[in-house]
Amino acid sequence: MNVEAPDQRLSEKPRAEKPAEPAEAEGTRRKRKREGAAWVFLSPWLLGAAVLTLTPMLVSLYLSFTEYDLFTAPEWVGLDNYVHMFTEDPRYWRSAVNTLVYVLVAVPLQLAAALAAALALNSIGRGKGFYRSAFYAPSLLGASMSIALVWRALFNDGGTVDDLLSSFGVNMGGWVNQPGWALLVVALLTIWQFGAPMVIFLAGLQQIPGELYEAAEVDGAGRLRRFRSVTLPMLSPVLFFNLVLQTIQAFQVFTPAFTVSGGRGGPADSTLFYTLYLYDRGFTASHMGYASAMAWVLLVVIGIVTALLFRSSRSWVFYNDKG
Amino acid sequence: MPDKSPKQRTLPRTGIKASALTFAVLTLCGLLAGCGAGTNGSAGGEVELQFSWWGNADRAAATNEAVDLFEQRHPNIEVQTSFSSYNSYIQKLATQAAGGNAPDVMQLDYRQISQYASSGLLLPLGDRPEVGTGKVGSGMLRTGQVRGTQYAIPMGRTSQVLVYDSAEWQRVGVSEPRLDWTWRDWSAAMRELNENTGQAGSTDPGWSEDWFEVWLRGRGKSLYTDSGELGFDKSDLAKFWSFTNGLSQRGAVSPARQTTQIDGSAANMPFGRGNAASGITWDSAVGGFQALIGDSLRLAPLPSGPDGTPGQYFKPSMLVGVSANSAHPEEASQLVDFLINDPEAGDVLGVSRGMPVNQDIREDITPSLSGLDERIADFQQRLEGKLLDPPSAPPSGDLALQTTFQRDYDHVGFELRTPRRMAEQFLTSVRSELQQ
Amino acid sequence: MVAVRGSITGRGPDWGRIGLHVGCLAVLLVMLYPLAWLAATSFKPADEVISSLRLLPSRIELGNYATALEGVGGVSVLRLIGNSLIISVGAVLGNVLSCSLAAYAFARLRFTLRGPLFALMLATIMLPQHAVLIPQYIVFNQLGMVNTFWPLVLPKFLATDAFFVFLTVQFMRGIPKELDEAATLDGCGPFRTFFRIILPLSRPALITTAIFTFIWTWNDFFLQLIYLFEPEKFTITLALRSFVDTSSQSAYGPMFAMSVIALLPIVLFFMAFQRFLVQGMASSGVKG
Repeated sequence: MNVEAPDQRLSEKPRAEKPAEPAEAEGTRRKRKREGAAWVFLSPWLLGAAVLTLTPMLVSLYLSFTEYDLFTAPEWVGLDNYVHMFTEDPRYWRSAVNTLVYVLVAVPLQLAAALAAALALNSIGRGKGFYRSAFYAPSLLGASMSIALVWRALFNDGGTVDDLLSSFGVNMGGWVNQPGWALLVVALLTIWQFGAPMVIFLAGLQQIPGELYEAAEVDGAGRLRRFRSVTLPMLSPVLFFNLVLQTIQAFQVFTPAFTVSGGRGGPADSTLFYTLYLYDRGFTASHMGYASAMAWVLLVVIGIVTALLFRSSRSWVFYNDKG
Repeated sequence: MPDKSPKQRTLPRTGIKASALTFAVLTLCGLLAGCGAGTNGSAGGEVELQFSWWGNADRAAATNEAVDLFEQRHPNIEVQTSFSSYNSYIQKLATQAAGGNAPDVMQLDYRQISQYASSGLLLPLGDRPEVGTGKVGSGMLRTGQVRGTQYAIPMGRTSQVLVYDSAEWQRVGVSEPRLDWTWRDWSAAMRELNENTGQAGSTDPGWSEDWFEVWLRGRGKSLYTDSGELGFDKSDLAKFWSFTNGLSQRGAVSPARQTTQIDGSAANMPFGRGNAASGITWDSAVGGFQALIGDSLRLAPLPSGPDGTPGQYFKPSMLVGVSANSAHPEEASQLVDFLINDPEAGDVLGVSRGMPVNQDIREDITPSLSGLDERIADFQQRLEGKLLDPPSAPPSGDLALQTTFQRDYDHVGFELRTPRRMAEQFLTSVRSELQQ
Repeated sequence: MVAVRGSITGRGPDWGRIGLHVGCLAVLLVMLYPLAWLAATSFKPADEVISSLRLLPSRIELGNYATALEGVGGVSVLRLIGNSLIISVGAVLGNVLSCSLAAYAFARLRFTLRGPLFALMLATIMLPQHAVLIPQYIVFNQLGMVNTFWPLVLPKFLATDAFFVFLTVQFMRGIPKELDEAATLDGCGPFRTFFRIILPLSRPALITTAIFTFIWTWNDFFLQLIYLFEPEKFTITLALRSFVDTSSQSAYGPMFAMSVIALLPIVLFFMAFQRFLVQGMASSGVKG
């Protein structure tokens, strides 16, 4: 039911953007042919969605109204899971707040870092391949066990960062092990791995036709002006993509916290993120019904945020397919 | 990188095509091979068993050797083995069991068996003639029972232990722990160590339900009663946490900043990192400390209650059970029996799962042990006959409470909440977990 | 391109660009330190792996690599890498193919339910995967595919990674519409337009899809953990985790060595394919 909110906006959007759609003027025969072709192109996705994604999703929606311990048949409990979540589980709220803080910190900073790196690389000339690989290198690792150990060694009590700061007379006593700082350390791990959005920005920059810059230059536009009136609008679909996807992924942040905090979300629940707690409830505590309810609440929240982003995109995202 | 020469435009495209084609062929071959292997296995009229466990590479090597031996003895049985590390294993097994696909023979944790047994996933082993349990002590055997039915057999035994660096203790003039020391003696020793070394005397034991249990048992109580009810109340836990947190605030045991990072591994324990003069762990996990501390590592029992009641006990380091859905319960039971009772298997497995539970095998392999294994055997020998029977398997839900316990204590350690307040919160969680 | 032009108009040394180089190198120095630390640690003797904070080992210890190269649980490293390669390459082929097909439909073709289906597709990445793990496992178990590579590869051929569908849609929408209109006037149907015009011009998106799919599949631990049972089918990412077991003794040194080994194929893959990222619209053909 919650899918409906983004639905309507999305279905309106492309049409709203195309006041004079040439396809509309074409004959109905061609239209019908196109319609048939569309379903052919969509068929792998439709099959996958029906069997592998949507059905399991619907199952989990059903499970969210049950008490399901993984091993015995689910038992219908109505809205109990939702009620418990909102009224009786302080750790649930803690995880929701942690996640929100994380989204607000990690997404803007990671995107800014990625965009800055992509712009720098795009105009660096020589050594571009080297820089691209080097900036991407941290992202190759994912959030593996070894990177978790490295991260802890860097930000621990008496770790490298502490060591460095103490030579300036600052004594922190560790970052990853203190409730006030641990979330930032996890966020830093994500920001550090900005390779994926950077590559997407780079690909987007590649797609901007050189003629536009030439034209702008002929018009006497300076560097800044060219950035604002050519690069930024032409890059906006990709910027929008990165913003939407990084936001969705940040709401579901799991692996960095899971590895860095050893799965517990400590210290003192400060890195207990939403999906970490969901996983804990589902697989450690065997309350898969409760975990499913948590998942669907998150889906609704992400759906609303995404719909808002899509709505805002009408005023700042520029598509080249306007016809 | 040259990116604007005209030649470049055509070259990469063929490059992509060629490499994509190679990849495509390779992948298809691989997929077919992978799929083929899956179907081959069940053919040929042979019995195929799946056996999975958690552990490290050493345990894997020993287990595979024992399984090979079993296959030699039973040419009609083929055993497919699999292993992962503990945390991964718990999730993998849960997923397999939920999908109706649990392995025939599976290693189980003490905290898992109540849930697996009461969900009907485990085969009752008591009435399987293949499984002999005569040589397993009755107290130890009882740990595999749920409501009187034998669902799993312990594979090895372990006990709580205080590990310390004897050289360090001697250097600062603190007398080494005696067999019958109490928590009062222990806290005095911790303060003395702290005064003489400037470091914490030990890991703060407040983080784990395991050490709380030892403390409780010393006072004649328990985590759970035999019928699966709660065996302590709010004030017990508040008292324990006030005690440990008080020591932590004075520096006698590790500060919250270090305690919060403990995950059971030696490397994340203040003692393992060189931040404390001793640590509390299971004797099956002592190997990690040996690597970090060296040969002056010594093992001592955990403190007893005020009247000398021992809190620690022999716990099954892991158990083994058979899936209720197994197509070959007879062969699976044979494998279980082989792992527990066969002398040759005992030789091969050694102490890779803790000290063997079969008395004959334990006596048989003890003389051949050396180094740390010998010290662990000796440690258990000293405790033999002095400890109370182990508790019944914890009720379902305890797996979750173990993590909750550590999370809740963090709030005490960082002085975000009082011990009393968090004890209350923990008991609320317990009540809601045990209801189900 | 901005800078290329800048250098043509500029006289003498291009100070702006030199500053850019210096800045990038400085940032990289900090950014790559953790990686250097990881690589250096793989050469440290056991007692330094955990306790020492110094970057360089006191002596070079190759034993970690010797242990790692022995493989895990009787399975050789080559086998582990081979399994990872099969899965990752299969996933790349699947994603590139299926996601571009679906993306073309969403980006260019008009059909009923387009909006709702697009939203539905996005919704599939909004639900945390842990919630659908069990139902998906049951589906694959019913299909008899557990303990094969299919559950890790087949979904990619069915465009279940909405991330890449959306990515490709965004790129296709950046391709000027005049191009397919011209093709349509030349009598090309949707299929020829797709293969002749859209697909070649979407190359940055396809390459990006290929690179990310490869790396992410390679590093994806959870699905491999759940679907692969026999050690002979284990991947290098699974093997990596088996070095660290909190319930017994961990082998951190070999784990770091194994991480470095596991990293090599993805480094090579990235280096090989990142070159193709350079060729976008700007250089490959819109000019005509």
